[in-house]
Amino acid sequence: MTFLLRLLRLCADSLSIPLLAPVKHRALVRMLVQREIASRTSGTALGRLWPLLQPALQILGFWFLFAVVYDMRNVRGPGFAQYMLLSMLPWLCFSEVLVRATGLFREFSPLFTRSRFPLEVLPTMALVMPMLVYTPVLVLTAMWLLGLVAALKAVVVIPLLLVWTLPLVLLCAVAGLFVRDFGQALPFVLTLLMYLTPILYFPDMLPAGMRIWLWLNPMSDWMLLIHAWLNGGVLPLESVARLLALWLLLLVPCWLWFRRTELHVRELL
Amino acid sequence: MVDSGFGNKVISLIGVGKSYRSYTRDIDRALEILTGKVRHYQYDALQPLSLQVAKGEVIGVVGKNGAGKSTLLKLLAGTLQPSSGQLEINGRVSAILELGASFHPEMTGHDNVYLTCAIQGLSRQETAAAYEAIVNFAGIGEFMQRPVKTYSSGMVMRLAFAIATHVDPDILIIDEALSVGDGVFARRSFDRIMEFRQAGKTIFFCSHSLYQVEALCDRVLWLDGGRVRAEGAPAKVITAYGDFLQQESAIVQPPLVTATATATATATATATAEAEAEAASTATTVATPVAAQAVPRVMAVKVRVDGTEARVHAVQSGKSRIEVEVRFLSVAALPVPSVGLVILGGDGRYVASMGTVNDGIALRAGADLTGSVMVTLPDFPLLKGCYVIEVYLLCEQGLHIYERVRQVAELNVEQRGLELGIVTLPHQWQVL
Repeated sequence: MTFLLRLLRLCADSLSIPLLAPVKHRALVRMLVQREIASRTSGTALGRLWPLLQPALQILGFWFLFAVVYDMRNVRGPGFAQYMLLSMLPWLCFSEVLVRATGLFREFSPLFTRSRFPLEVLPTMALVMPMLVYTPVLVLTAMWLLGLVAALKAVVVIPLLLVWTLPLVLLCAVAGLFVRDFGQALPFVLTLLMYLTPILYFPDMLPAGMRIWLWLNPMSDWMLLIHAWLNGGVLPLESVARLLALWLLLLVPCWLWFRRTELHVRELL
Repeated sequence: MVDSGFGNKVISLIGVGKSYRSYTRDIDRALEILTGKVRHYQYDALQPLSLQVAKGEVIGVVGKNGAGKSTLLKLLAGTLQPSSGQLEINGRVSAILELGASFHPEMTGHDNVYLTCAIQGLSRQETAAAYEAIVNFAGIGEFMQRPVKTYSSGMVMRLAFAIATHVDPDILIIDEALSVGDGVFARRSFDRIMEFRQAGKTIFFCSHSLYQVEALCDRVLWLDGGRVRAEGAPAKVITAYGDFLQQESAIVQPPLVTATATATATATATATAEAEAEAASTATTVATPVAAQAVPRVMAVKVRVDGTEARVHAVQSGKSRIEVEVRFLSVAALPVPSVGLVILGGDGRYVASMGTVNDGIALRAGADLTGSVMVTLPDFPLLKGCYVIEVYLLCEQGLHIYERVRQVAELNVEQRGLELGIVTLPHQWQVL
């Protein structure tokens, strides 16, 4: 009975503490976002425009490559360039968050080793800036490619994706702290995962023998969901259920690992 | 554990200990967290400690380097977590440990105030309410919209101190320095901490300056090797700690002690001197020249031996009359300062000291704000040896040091008799 109560409490904490941290510490999160913007844009001519310009220019580059150079606008139907661009933005956001998470503890160590800093804010800090950057870029891209309705729908895509990414952020933050090789290997793993995710191709373009990857790779579910949502299609409930189950399954152990790390992290850094 | 006898309890430590873990490989730490299987070597920085602190208490922490003082302060400040025991703190804690550590160089002073206050848990409204007081105290209003990277180190320290003491803390944690900066700000920061004391805030004060610890604290905790060696009334604990330092010094420096060890009266003073010397090397105010700051300063010191003024004197033990005259410049906005005098042995030990506050002498300053005081040492009682005189100009309470004038005179004492030690005590022989 005690074990069950403890488990229930742990589950409740795992859901509430990291998700409510940005609300509870909103003044701190706001100042830390300002701090990050100052770090990234100080001394530049375009200043605060740069965080937004970077993904936007990347997308323009992809569009130029695939739509103009390869002339793939009409390959397998008129929507390939749209599909690729609207898949690529969430993926860029997802991979940027995870790569940053591996160095999260080291990045904020000057704050939490010298002042009474709430560590539960750290996962938020990995998520909030990409959310602020990629959400408007995705909305503008959806507006450009699909129109106003899709643009309005696009507002929720990045925030939902990032909330789902939270357990992976916790995992990467701890793994990146203790196993330096993890941070080095992750970009390669993410590149590999990108090729296994239907971003640069439609899902049905994958050879039949490899379709199992679509089922095993949760990012494939995300791509299905995003395109169904933006294009007004039927939401694949199986994908929703699978993503939700995986999120719940990962969140508790990842949060527990993160909390257990707290005792060590102030000594280590 | 000693119960404080004060009213409301604000800090409660029950068996609180801190161990640092050492791992052969980084991954062992991750594996230990995952599996629960111990893979570390352990070093105990602080043995389980129980302590109850009431609201308004001023607790001093003394101990040698590595005794666990900083670990204890970091546990209280929340930058470390205890490895064992229960630590409860009721109230907002502000720590003067690493001033300006949370500042970001690219952000303006204004934004850094909001960032630091947010880390302390203040809302934007609370920060906005305190902002003007912070800026006024720091005295750098015109720089607040500029990036902190353009500030001098003194300005950073002033702003950080202003924030730490204006977030309305219930508990103030001070590591070593009772004042920061120099000149006017040093005095203001010292006064600010004294205001906290008078306002009944709880203060945890860790210092090598045993004089200040004894003068300010209600209770003193002596840590040694991570354990509580003694706890209780300042006079009792400081005396015991001084004796301990003297014994340590005797072990480390046997030849020196062989030459002078007969003077048991100086045992505590010697230990204090070493601790004060260590404090002088870390505290910012002690040896800092005051220059043109608007704080009281020493204008001239004259040392006369048997009417002759010089810097190096030949002194006859038990006969010479020594006069030390100190002329100082006061400041209209501040109370008239006090003066202290210290006689050090050739090896740097404090042999004797005297101060106007301790002796109940109130100094006066004239219309031109200058004042003078002279102390006379008739029939100089120290035995043969080389001694040095130092003069201190202190605040009216005799706690905050405005200026320290080193080696104002060197006394080469000669004696006729064969007495041993360093001082002749008043005595009478009676043949029975």
